[in-house]
Amino acid sequence: MSFTEVLRKTWRDNLLFSVLVELTYRCNLDCFFCYNDLALRGEPMSTEEYFRLFEELRDLEVLNLTLSGGEPLAHPDFLKLGARARELGFVVRIKSNGHALRGEMARRLRDEVDPFLIEVSLHGSTAATHDRQTRVPGSFERLLSNLREVLDLGMRVKINSTLTCWNEDEAEGMLDLADSFGLQIQIDPEVTPRDDGDREPLSVAPSREGVHRLFALQARRAVEAGANLLIAHGADDGTLPAPVEKHCGAGSAGIAVDPYGNVYPCVQWRRPVGNLHHQSIGEIWTGSTDLREVREITAGAKRIVDGYGPSGSFLNFCPGSAATRTGDPLEIYPEAVLRMEETEKAFGEERKKILLPILP
Amino acid sequence: MSFGDTFLHNPDLFPARRSGEAWGDRKLILDLPGGPYRFSGLSAEQEREALGRFGELRLDPVSSAVDTELFRASPSDFREIDTRGWNYDLDLDAGPSSLRIAGLHLVGRLDWRPALAGALWTSDAGTDRFAGIFENFCRVLVAYRLHDMGGAVIHGSAVVDGGEALLFAGRSGAGKTTVCRLGLEQGRTVLSDDLNALLPANGKRVALAGLPFTGDLESGGGAGAVYPLRALLRLEKDTEDSLRPLSRAEAAACLLACAPFVNADPYRRASLLANVLALVGEVPAFALRFSLSGRFWNIMPSA
Amino acid sequence: MTPLDGRSVLKPASDVRFRIVDREAVVVRQRDSEVLVMSDVAARLLALADGVRPVDAWLDVLVEEYEVDRGTLERDVLQFAAELAEQGILEVADR
Repeated sequence: MSFTEVLRKTWRDNLLFSVLVELTYRCNLDCFFCYNDLALRGEPMSTEEYFRLFEELRDLEVLNLTLSGGEPLAHPDFLKLGARARELGFVVRIKSNGHALRGEMARRLRDEVDPFLIEVSLHGSTAATHDRQTRVPGSFERLLSNLREVLDLGMRVKINSTLTCWNEDEAEGMLDLADSFGLQIQIDPEVTPRDDGDREPLSVAPSREGVHRLFALQARRAVEAGANLLIAHGADDGTLPAPVEKHCGAGSAGIAVDPYGNVYPCVQWRRPVGNLHHQSIGEIWTGSTDLREVREITAGAKRIVDGYGPSGSFLNFCPGSAATRTGDPLEIYPEAVLRMEETEKAFGEERKKILLPILP
Repeated sequence: MSFGDTFLHNPDLFPARRSGEAWGDRKLILDLPGGPYRFSGLSAEQEREALGRFGELRLDPVSSAVDTELFRASPSDFREIDTRGWNYDLDLDAGPSSLRIAGLHLVGRLDWRPALAGALWTSDAGTDRFAGIFENFCRVLVAYRLHDMGGAVIHGSAVVDGGEALLFAGRSGAGKTTVCRLGLEQGRTVLSDDLNALLPANGKRVALAGLPFTGDLESGGGAGAVYPLRALLRLEKDTEDSLRPLSRAEAAACLLACAPFVNADPYRRASLLANVLALVGEVPAFALRFSLSGRFWNIMPSA
Repeated sequence: MTPLDGRSVLKPASDVRFRIVDREAVVVRQRDSEVLVMSDVAARLLALADGVRPVDAWLDVLVEEYEVDRGTLERDVLQFAAELAEQGILEVADR
């Protein structure tokens, strides 16, 4: 059996496989378009509660555990939590802005947590653009220097980026920069509203031309490299789409947890389905009626996306983003359509051919 | 030593935005000069400790205030410091639209976006240390707020004389506390022998308010009391008593030297200078040489 | 590598992470960023390889689960464990 088939099984049979935990909303950068809902309040999860959660996730055979934030390293017990996650046998990913990944912290992260992957954020190919987005002067130079340091330590790193109207002219520069480090880069062409629905981040959404240029660039490079053409799509842990009767694994194979123990179907879908102060993850997973509804919605989303025919696979539609944008997780929003059109233009027949092997 | 090294284990993680996990849901509004100031995210214990020190200044909910949010930090964020015989200075790092603050059990920031707002991360859940931590943050907050309003916080002593305030300023050891003690002995009211707020004239007289921050002497002017400023006196200890008028430049230099926090901020030194020049334009200023006889009160400028 | 026998104590290699998904082992080799999907037998052996119990103790457990004589079981298990060790998924634990 292939890994894709395993993933398909997790989606179909609601086997929890990937969990993203936002440890804190503290952050040492101040990205303009950050999606965190900073006004959210509640009782933070204690370290003991995290330990219990991790143990239960291990018992549920969850493989992927992503530690995110805010800046996860800013959680006072980050290393302790990471070490416990390692001990419990998770494939640990760290989503960090990279700003504090140096010196003793970097070394201890490698030795004590041994993450499968560190995903750092790049905001441009120049200091002016990167620092404009992070709103911390010097953050670009720091990131480059820290990348060299963690790579020297032998850690595995991936670069994430979000295309905005501020950095869209630097897309090629960002790809080159990633190449110069020998790192994989994923540029997400979608800026999302904040988790509380605030649309301010959309003011830096990329232009249609910017999205078009990015896709054309990615298609050209992929063809040159003879590589697999992949556009950001699928689970947050970087796994490939697993064709099944659901549009995505939100709430079926994956969940997200915020610093207050609220559980969501996905990091992008902020519909609370339970709270870990009051229920165990197992109870939420099997008992939450909200979660059951979410699973039905993802099946509904699949039918809607399929309605677009072969173009549907280019929609890269996110029910969570739709819910935040429109209040309806099934409403196809204009940015998704734009992406579909631009993807088709850029990747055209090439992409269709390459996608075939992983379609059912 | 770069910023934060004295107090923090990992200054790389210094918060760049006003975010984190709140201690609780308590809100506190205080009538400090330049206020009201609203603090949110306190635990019940923190609120109790803050009220223990600033209870007299508490206000009912208001529609607009200078906002500060409180967040949790961990004791493990902070270095252990042996404070015996140690001179405690906050570590400040100014930027064009922000100020970072590090101190004992506290991390703070002020941001101008464009309105001033604060954030305070502390590891203290509300022990008897909390009021001190809270006050240390407030000293900086109020200093910057008054600067933004065209005023200044001045390190000096203020004594009430005939319903007006006299502000005595001078370098450390110049006699600020002595002047206050001599004033108290003669039945005068001391507003503060440590920090005082100067509020801009705005067409009226420059006003002075004592700040309820702990000095060496008990302040007696009543929290929130505001007095018209009669004169600024630059102190010099001597064996004789004498009074010499200061030029506007001398007076401004004196205030500038005594304006804590802001005078070390390269991004706001020019605006602070403009503030103090405007203030001294409205208030007579003198160099006061004084002896310990207390007779200098006889040569004080009168109302 | 020394041939394995009933007294060998094995554990998953330090860069290996695995879970059992519906009777199959999803095995991740972190160093190579590689995901392998292996049979339920592999899943069973990975779970038993706790770095404490020797292979003989696995047999006590497995003989109850599989309808096969102990001799055959021992041969198969040792062979499979050796394959897993060769692939760098299991390693001999220090005692």
